[in-house]
Amino acid sequence: MIKLQNIQKYFYKGEPREVHALNDISLTIKKGEFLALTGSSGCGKTTLLNAIGVLDSIDSGEIYLGNKEISQLTKDEKTDIRLNDIGFVFQAYNLVPVLNVRENISFIMKLQGTAQEIIDARVIEVANILEIQDKLDSLPSLLSGGQQQRVAVARAVASRPKIILADEPTANLDSKNSKALMDMMRELNRVEDVTIVFASHDEFVVNSVDRVIKLDDGKLL
Amino acid sequence: MYKTIINIALKNAYLRKSRAILLILMISLSMGVMLSIEGLYDGLAANMIDKSKRSDSGEISIYAKEYRENKDMKFNIKNTQDIITELKSIDGVSSVVSRFSIQGLSQSATKSYPSSLVGVDFEDEEVFGKFSEFVEVGDLNLGKRGCAIGKELAKNLKLHLGSKVIFTARDAHGDIQSIMFRIKAIINSTNITIDNQTIFTNKSRVLSYAGVAQNTSTQIAIRTASNSCITIIKDKFQNYDAKDFKELNPMLKQMQDMMKIFNKVTFFIVMFVVFIGILGVMYVSILDRVREFGIMLALGYKYTYIRTQVIFEALFLGLGGFVFGSILGFILLYILKHHGLDLSKFADGMASFGMANILYANIKLIYFTSSFFAIIFASILSVFLPLKKIKNLNPTEVIKADS
Repeated sequence: MIKLQNIQKYFYKGEPREVHALNDISLTIKKGEFLALTGSSGCGKTTLLNAIGVLDSIDSGEIYLGNKEISQLTKDEKTDIRLNDIGFVFQAYNLVPVLNVRENISFIMKLQGTAQEIIDARVIEVANILEIQDKLDSLPSLLSGGQQQRVAVARAVASRPKIILADEPTANLDSKNSKALMDMMRELNRVEDVTIVFASHDEFVVNSVDRVIKLDDGKLL
Repeated sequence: MYKTIINIALKNAYLRKSRAILLILMISLSMGVMLSIEGLYDGLAANMIDKSKRSDSGEISIYAKEYRENKDMKFNIKNTQDIITELKSIDGVSSVVSRFSIQGLSQSATKSYPSSLVGVDFEDEEVFGKFSEFVEVGDLNLGKRGCAIGKELAKNLKLHLGSKVIFTARDAHGDIQSIMFRIKAIINSTNITIDNQTIFTNKSRVLSYAGVAQNTSTQIAIRTASNSCITIIKDKFQNYDAKDFKELNPMLKQMQDMMKIFNKVTFFIVMFVVFIGILGVMYVSILDRVREFGIMLALGYKYTYIRTQVIFEALFLGLGGFVFGSILGFILLYILKHHGLDLSKFADGMASFGMANILYANIKLIYFTSSFFAIIFASILSVFLPLKKIKNLNPTEVIKADS
């Protein structure tokens, strides 16, 4: 499903403050996996997650999504990959503030050009799973942190991406909401057969996944 | 796709209320003031031209050759009635008047001033240019020995309603003759020539005084409904000195052109200020939303979508400003058109430039259409600089910064 070969990534390359963020990373993630990238702060887990999500470029190596090498695509092609194949859940929820919950969830599907009736049905379906069906007409600013994170998950999963990348999704949640979120993600992974990759140093997340990949100083352990 | 982008743009324009109100208020106020200035400039020029046409030249006037150079009554039109009949048969000619003018000296008991005695038919003048509207004091029932005198001339001679005035000039035989009038009306036409040096009375009396035939005139003035008439009249009366309004009043034409330039300069300055205003507000608004745009880019929203969205936002706000600005501008113009801007405190100064005390505005569709296009242009242009900041945005930087 996802294959990374000899990934190298530097920050401030050639400068005295150069950081070797990803050091020869090779990794395969299979379809339907529920896994976490973990390690101490600054170990490179978010950088690796961003590389997988073609949000950030790499200096060398190859990234395959299915059989397609995606690291050398143009900016617009990478945007298309993110739009059609990858769902993101961020630590800070990052919902579009002027769109209500319904519009936030349907945002990606609308960009994909999905028919309105399919969008409507899918929004209801996902909202029911994530128990936010009564919040569909609310603006994000009126929701609690936990509710916003559920909307972010709903947005990520609604368009049925091949993979969901979640960067520290529980960092702003209390333990109760963290558990609820992980339960939901697990359920989505099971029901929708979607591959979910977390980047987290939260013990609870690490203990909840099927596979843990540890990083230290940009290297796989 | 565009439906989604426009929907987001609309929501941004609507939900970011302080930005929307600030921009719309700024555009509306600027536009309202600009439209008022445009209307007043145009109204001022149009008013002066209108009064000059009504009180003197019409759209075109016919003189005997050499009359305008010499102002000598011997260069006159002898077959006035035939010419008037011929003129009235031309399509587009709405009215015609004939006048007989003599250059001479007006005297009161203590003062004398060079002036013109103009013989007119007041009924024809009423049809021609609503002459009675120029009467500031008195009326046009002049009787046997009455006259109407220009306001400034009366002031210079220290005369008022009911005073006697004596006009002295050389008649057609070369003899110096005087004629006495009692002032029945004082004329304020804002036409400097008339107000400063003209006495009006019945034409037949002037002709008798001058010793010329009754069918004689020094000027035939014509009001026309179309410019094509002017060309026809010029062609038809080539044996005479037929001059249109612009040729007879180059200063007024120049003033009208200057007002157009003032209007363009005002328009440019106001629109530049509007542009800077929109640019400032949109710049801050876009930079405030770098994170939002970064997230959208991360989710698969392309830069071209952001550009389109921001352009639409600016357009919606610009259109909002235009709508409110048009309403405000129309109200101000309507008030200025019907009630005018009273500048009576500066009456003397304004009169010396041939301007009325009260300025009335014009209302033209072009004010609104040109503002519309300028605001749309300014709105679109104003987002390109801030968009440059978004174009090279790396979503990971934004996400990292806020995590």
